[in-house]
Amino acid sequence: MPESEILQGTLDLLILKALALDEMHGMGVSRRISQITNGAFEVKAGSLFPALHRMEEAGWLASSWGESETNRRSKFYRLTRTGRRHLQSESKRWERISVAMASALRAT
Amino acid sequence: MLLAFCRNLFRKRRMDQELDDELRSYVELTTAENIRRGMTPEAAAAQARRDFGGMQQVKENVRDVRAGIGLEILIQDVRYGIRSLRRSPGFATVTILTLALGIGANTTIYSVVHGVLLKPLPYPHPDRLVTLWESHPAFGQFLGVAPSNFYDWRTLNGTFDKMAALDPYPDYILTGVGQPRRLTGAEVTADFFPLLGVRMHLGRGFQPNEQGVVVLSYSVWEKYFGARTEIAGTQVRLNDADYTVAGVLPRDFYLVSKSSDFQARAQFDVWTNLGLTSPPAAWLRSTHPLRVFGRLKPGVPLQQAQADLDRIAANLRRLYPDDNKDKTILAVPMEEHAVAGVRTALFTLSGAVAMVLLIACANIANLLLTRAAARRNEMALRAALGASRIRLVRQLLTESALLVLLGSSLALVLALGSVPLLVRHLPADLPRISEISVDKGVLGFTALLTVTTGMLVGMAPLLQSQDARLNVRGISMGQSRMRNALILTQVAIALVLLAGAGLMTKSLRALLEVSPGFQTAHILTARLSLPPRYANGYKFGTGQHRRISVFERELAERVRNIPGVESAGFTSHLPLSGTDNDWTFFIEGRTNPPGVFNSTKYRPVTAGYFETMGIPVKRGRPFERRDDEDHPLVVIINGAMARTFWPNEDPVGKRLKFGDENWRTIAGIVGDVHHDSLGTAPAPEMYIPWGQVPNVEIRPIIVVRSFVEPASLASGLRKAVSEVDSEVPMDQVATMDELVSGSVGESRFRTIVISLFALLALFVACIGVYGVMSYLVSQRSREFGIRMAVGGTRSSVFLLVLGQGAKIAVLGVIVGLAGTALLSRLIKSLLYGVTPLDAATLAGVSIALSAVALLASYIPARRAANADPMETLRYE
Repeated sequence: MPESEILQGTLDLLILKALALDEMHGMGVSRRISQITNGAFEVKAGSLFPALHRMEEAGWLASSWGESETNRRSKFYRLTRTGRRHLQSESKRWERISVAMASALRAT
Repeated sequence: MLLAFCRNLFRKRRMDQELDDELRSYVELTTAENIRRGMTPEAAAAQARRDFGGMQQVKENVRDVRAGIGLEILIQDVRYGIRSLRRSPGFATVTILTLALGIGANTTIYSVVHGVLLKPLPYPHPDRLVTLWESHPAFGQFLGVAPSNFYDWRTLNGTFDKMAALDPYPDYILTGVGQPRRLTGAEVTADFFPLLGVRMHLGRGFQPNEQGVVVLSYSVWEKYFGARTEIAGTQVRLNDADYTVAGVLPRDFYLVSKSSDFQARAQFDVWTNLGLTSPPAAWLRSTHPLRVFGRLKPGVPLQQAQADLDRIAANLRRLYPDDNKDKTILAVPMEEHAVAGVRTALFTLSGAVAMVLLIACANIANLLLTRAAARRNEMALRAALGASRIRLVRQLLTESALLVLLGSSLALVLALGSVPLLVRHLPADLPRISEISVDKGVLGFTALLTVTTGMLVGMAPLLQSQDARLNVRGISMGQSRMRNALILTQVAIALVLLAGAGLMTKSLRALLEVSPGFQTAHILTARLSLPPRYANGYKFGTGQHRRISVFERELAERVRNIPGVESAGFTSHLPLSGTDNDWTFFIEGRTNPPGVFNSTKYRPVTAGYFETMGIPVKRGRPFERRDDEDHPLVVIINGAMARTFWPNEDPVGKRLKFGDENWRTIAGIVGDVHHDSLGTAPAPEMYIPWGQVPNVEIRPIIVVRSFVEPASLASGLRKAVSEVDSEVPMDQVATMDELVSGSVGESRFRTIVISLFALLALFVACIGVYGVMSYLVSQRSREFGIRMAVGGTRSSVFLLVLGQGAKIAVLGVIVGLAGTALLSRLIKSLLYGVTPLDAATLAGVSIALSAVALLASYIPARRAANADPMETLRYE
């Protein structure tokens, strides 16, 4: 699915989910999203980085500089406490919506 | 502030560096991944870059989401704005200058308007202050008040807190402080200063019935008494009598009035007590010297006070029909009265200057539109590189704000410089001049103007940037229509201003061409003040004028011996000097109904006056030396008086008299003189030989006709006066030309200012036409290229462009003429000898404006015609 069709607000949730286990750099986040959505969402840099920076400003993410696999200086993101809380509440909301949507669409 | 600025700059640089690193690392990681998938390194890198998308766009987007970087963006915008303005210095200069001139002119004029018209009077609770007048349907609305009437008004009213009277006539000669000085004086009732809420700088005001006391103005105290603080209670010598100083007025006190109120005396130097604490003598109901002021009781509206006064007036009419027949009482707010004469003129100036600002705004909007059009490619490029719409709009607004900021700073400097300059050149009879300054209110006004202008100006590129992304080429119809409307407005407003300037110039010229009735060139005038000892007594026929006559003859003799002097004479009131006197008289063999008086202007003059002034004697004879107390009484009248009172008879030889019961024979008729102003018709006027005046006249004005430059005679004249009597002050030395010129001061000032505005408008509109035509040529260069390529001649293209300019000019002129017609009623009262729709003037300015507009289109038209068609087509 092209990224433009990712629902508004979905990208934030996907990034939070991708970072739920471990800290990652931007490229890692992109790959992880692709992986956990079974390749359904390809997040391009043009959307990813503004989102990462915005979420960092919002206090959901924190960042630190480290070395990447290619020994290059990279910026690693991780969830803050607020971010983790936000992930939980957003996940619940999404589950409710998706169940509701699914039953709505199944109805005849 | 500076620190924060530096920190932010630093932080911004670091953030940019980090973002760069982060994004690079992403690309590298993608490349590495691609290689692992089996791509060649080159292909892997290319693929990674493709996947990434526009590096700049991503950066822009990230920067935009970072909170707390608004300031950096602003700084960046400002820096970018400054850079882009510096890239086009012509545009920046023209815009900033246009703004500065527009806003500067506005601030300056509104400073004057604010000081004169809008600022409250400098007294506590000024809204409760009124001036009170006797009114008569035939004699006039604003007549002086009889002391007895004033006394009754004050006693009988129930709506005034205080009522006070001022008698403006006594002048004083101050002696005992070096040279004798003539001081202007006023007698006021004890309530006068408390009514205005004046707090004395030193001492106190008057007790109700106290005589022989004086209150000094601050400037007299400072100038002649060395600002001594122990002055209160000491004696000063005025008119050869001793007065005790009661107090000194504060420095900033002055009486707000218009110059015509007090015979061209702006302010009074010394104040004495008028008394009026008990009912005045009966005859004091038929003389009307007083100016009356009232302070309304708190909460009493003017209408209620007027009703109260109407009731009193009705009573007085009934009780004293001889003096008060048909008389009413008129109450006018003090502020309204003072500025009544200049309101129209000042509002006209404000209107004119507002038009200048309007043109300036239209012009700036146009300039920015043109510029935005020229930068469409740049904007499209920046949009393509990832700048967001909001960002672009913000960039444009920042640029406009920069222009407005620079323009209005310059405007403020301009206003600070020009307000004092203007005040120096204001007509001296404008009321409240001392209250004019660039003050906080006016500064606020400028700020408001600036913001409004900024918003108006900011709108232009905003509209343009609607299609910044989409429309890289081609003209949108909406814009060109707006542009044309703007330029049309400019031309139209310029026409209105030019028409106004043209009309006023013509009016001023007509005014100056009015023959004043005397020869103005080569005459020097000066005011003399004889001490009271010159008046022998107050009873006519007891030699009361002998000493004065001796003085005058001796002085005239000496003056005639000054090299260059042709003749000399004396008068009590000079034409066009703002001073005047009227007397009532009776004609032999006629009786007037009660309450109706014959009244004309009245001038004591000496033999030699008519000759010196060049006033022609039409019939009979001029005055001679022998016309004194010991010879038959004579009078000379002017043509207007002859026509008014003896329309079908020869007045020479007829007799008239004043209240003194002595019949006077009319000895001659002289030509009419414009005494009040060049713009008003000469009024009936009579001349009395100085030696035969029924009252005492010890304030002669000497007029001297010379072969040489009259101003050069001043020192000789002063020497002659002090040789005759060293205690006679001489002041107000002026040539007759100066007096005539001063009498049209207000009209001249207004004409000059409006003309300056009109030139400014013409200049700005000219820039506007040039800008629009240049833009048009650049937009249609491809079309012109094709035209020429298919056989069109250069001259056809030239004429096409010129025709476009002509169309704008003609339409603008038509709209402007319509506007002028609409406004003509407003300026009618300011014009003399020319109608507001004077065909010659309107035709003249229309042609001039069209010519300038055509000239402004000429250069773009030639550019279009001279362009190489191959070049333009290839370029496109």
